[in-house]
Amino acid sequence: MSTTELNDSRFSIDATDLSRFHSGTDAPIWWGIVGLVLIEMSVVAAFVISYFYLLMSNPQWPPADYPVPELMLPTVSLVLLLISCVTMYMAGRTLNKGQVTAFVLYTVASVALACVVLVIRWQQFQDFEFSLDQHVYGSLVWTISGFHFLHVVSAAIGTAVVAILGMMGFFSSTQRIGVVVDTLYWNFVALAWIPFYLILYWVPRLTYTAGG
Amino acid sequence: MQSTATYDHDPASTQLLSRTWESPPGVLNWFTHVNHRQIGYRFVVTSLVFFALAGVLALIMRLQLISPENTLLGPDLYNQLFTMHGTTMMFFFAVPAMEGLGIYLAPLMIGTRDMSFPRLNAFGYYVYLIAGIALYTSLFLGMAPAAGWFSYVPLANIAFSEGRGMDFWTTMITFIEISALAAAVELIVTILKQRAPGMTLSRMPLFVWAILVMSFMIVFAMPTVMAGSVLLALDRAFFTQFFVAAGGGDPLLWQHLFWFFGHPEVYIIMVPALGIISSIIATFTQRPIFGYTALVLSLVATGFVSFGLWVHHMFTTGLPHLGLSFFTAASAMIAIPTGVQVFCWIASLWGARIRFATPMLFILGFFAIFVIGGLTGVMVASIPFDSQVHDSYFVVAHLHYVLIGGAVFPFFAGLYYWYPKMTGRLMSERLGRWSFALIFIGTNLTFFPMHQLGFEGMPRRVYTYLADMGWQDLNFAITLAAFVLGTGFLLTLINAVISRSRGDLAGSNPWQAETLEWATTSPPQNYNFRHLPVVSSRTPLWDQSDADRLECVAGLRADRRELLVTTLLEARAQSVLIMPNPSIWPFLLSLAVGFGFLGFMFEPWLFVVGFALSFFMIVGWLWPKKPWLDGEQSYDQSHDQC
Ligand code: HEM
Ligand SMILES: [Cu+2]
Repeated sequence: MSTTELNDSRFSIDATDLSRFHSGTDAPIWWGIVGLVLIEMSVVAAFVISYFYLLMSNPQWPPADYPVPELMLPTVSLVLLLISCVTMYMAGRTLNKGQVTAFVLYTVASVALACVVLVIRWQQFQDFEFSLDQHVYGSLVWTISGFHFLHVVSAAIGTAVVAILGMMGFFSSTQRIGVVVDTLYWNFVALAWIPFYLILYWVPRLTYTAGG
Repeated sequence: MQSTATYDHDPASTQLLSRTWESPPGVLNWFTHVNHRQIGYRFVVTSLVFFALAGVLALIMRLQLISPENTLLGPDLYNQLFTMHGTTMMFFFAVPAMEGLGIYLAPLMIGTRDMSFPRLNAFGYYVYLIAGIALYTSLFLGMAPAAGWFSYVPLANIAFSEGRGMDFWTTMITFIEISALAAAVELIVTILKQRAPGMTLSRMPLFVWAILVMSFMIVFAMPTVMAGSVLLALDRAFFTQFFVAAGGGDPLLWQHLFWFFGHPEVYIIMVPALGIISSIIATFTQRPIFGYTALVLSLVATGFVSFGLWVHHMFTTGLPHLGLSFFTAASAMIAIPTGVQVFCWIASLWGARIRFATPMLFILGFFAIFVIGGLTGVMVASIPFDSQVHDSYFVVAHLHYVLIGGAVFPFFAGLYYWYPKMTGRLMSERLGRWSFALIFIGTNLTFFPMHQLGFEGMPRRVYTYLADMGWQDLNFAITLAAFVLGTGFLLTLINAVISRSRGDLAGSNPWQAETLEWATTSPPQNYNFRHLPVVSSRTPLWDQSDADRLECVAGLRADRRELLVTTLLEARAQSVLIMPNPSIWPFLLSLAVGFGFLGFMFEPWLFVVGFALSFFMIVGWLWPKKPWLDGEQSYDQSHDQC
């Protein structure tokens, strides 16, 4: 750059010393992921509203002969997912302090938690006592469960990639936007389980009328 | 020091900057381009191709209806044609055309060099292209969808639409929404984070406001139709029961999911059109638009209110009356922001010396056509009236007045207006005027008589009618008029093709407009602006007698793609973003996703293969290149290259 340029009064802003790093809301990608989460939240809302709409247009919910859902395993999934939000948060914090090893451990722990959830959920798919094509109740349970399952898979793979990159020394306390946005998405996936958990496991318990 | 020479100082660094931002030439490299101008241009051109295809389908339908009991088309083919026509016009022409203009123009108008996620942008384009090609392949294989552009169940269920057609529809609709959503997020972030320093929200051009509102509407509206079409696809492939009454499902749920998207969809198309109108009126009256704040507020209000109207498409479905009255009231409310805008434009035109070039003619045409469409809209928003004309040609007339008036006229105006920026050449005025005249007359002659046909009881979506219904004279006239209209459109397409090489050279600001896209050459250089501009008013080019004298940003590197990030409200310089180079991954990802979606139609497990492939592509796309701490490399090292 010619020095005349900086002396020229028309150059009223000098970007030379502005940061080339972004770590949060100053990063366009952060806003991009917020956009993605907004979109997915609209999908979640569409599912939840459809659930209640269908519930209200059916005289009996769940339909006669359908079992009332068990709470145990889904609640365990919920707890594990919530813990994984904490481990992801810790991963980010340790990275801020430059403790890369701890960061890698926390991300691996999060992925492991997600994998346990996936195993539990998979087991529940096997245990469903109804198919998806008999009644819309089953269609909803299967579809919403599958939707969330796929999201946990994506978040787990994405975070595994983050962990691998971390082991290769890619992330540091300045270069961490990748972790920030991955955490953002992770939190969405984990927290999206709350409304699904409530409608799939609590609502039918509340509306259940034994024997019809 | 006041000489402009310092601005193009050092041709060597200008050349370096140009090479840095270059989209490499060559056929194979075509698939690696990520620049917003290339992508925006492709969106516009591709959408015009789909417009032409859908137009041809419409003319074929009109030929079938030219006389009673005509045998040109059978009922099933006719159903396929109107379904493809409506679906194409709404999903493959109108929305991508507006997005394309936004992708091309918004970054220029806000004074930046590219969009925030250039590769996502390219991905969105390929997704759009693949979806369109797949849908038209189904038409040529004779198995196109045939349940109308809103695919009502139970007709669209597997029980009543057996073939692959509906599968094409549900998968391709889901697929193309991905494209629209990608563009929307991209536009939002670019507009919020990359405005030129000094371009506070209240100095943002109205077109950019419109694109911002459109993008937010897409983010909240499109996911519902995506969810809906996924559920429909599951109903068809796995026999889930979402929309099947026998299994506890509810066909009306589909209508809610569809129209919760479908009504805002109309405004997703219209809102950017409103932005085009404001831009052109300001330029062709050579004075700032009247009521900037009111216009912005009504754009935003339109965005919000349009989400509360969807049930007016369902007045005849037997919903509770109180609910319906609410939606009548809400539908009337949308007239308020629309009215505010129309009055602001009238005030802007009042007493001005208007330049009646082709873009302005299309804007005036918009006023006439759109007002008629709006009036019939108020009529069908009232339940008793709607119950009479529902599913008749009155509705066909209404929707075409609204869509042609509200989208096609402004889009064509925009095409004539920004063509010189995109190509460096002006379109022919003479052909433009002829085209306008034919389109204006053709639209009215084609669609006005349809109101009457509706009153006489002709239902929409019928492939033929009996001679003693007495509908043939009007239908005959309408078909002739449709060809006049088609000729009008054809003239503009010819004009666009010819002017590409023979039009008059445009120069950087042929219309003496005020916004930043005109502050650079036509077409813009690879880097858009040699130096990123700094603005201090709403009409920078009018306040600056000489475009070369805009204030600028110094200190961006020329040897890699850098641009400025600014704060959200006040647009103060915040940081520098390093942009990605051309890349093949977006194209590969679109192929993987396309494979998953198309595969799903034939073998559901192929979806899982597509899902896995996509992950591989995404990792390839995002995998950072060594040296990893690129950004840290001190600026000083290449100081002399700036
Ligand atoms: C070239 C001028 C056009 C002509 C001659 C034309 C003609 C037609 C015809 C004949 C139908 C079928 C009516 C029926 O049988 O029910 C139709 C339906 C439709 N058109 Fe157009 N049209 C034109 C432009 C457009 C444009 C520009 C749009 C939107 C941007 C559009 C959107 C639609 C839609 C949404 C339908 C309803 C499809 C359905 O019923 O599923 N048309 N048009
Ligand atoms: Cu509507």
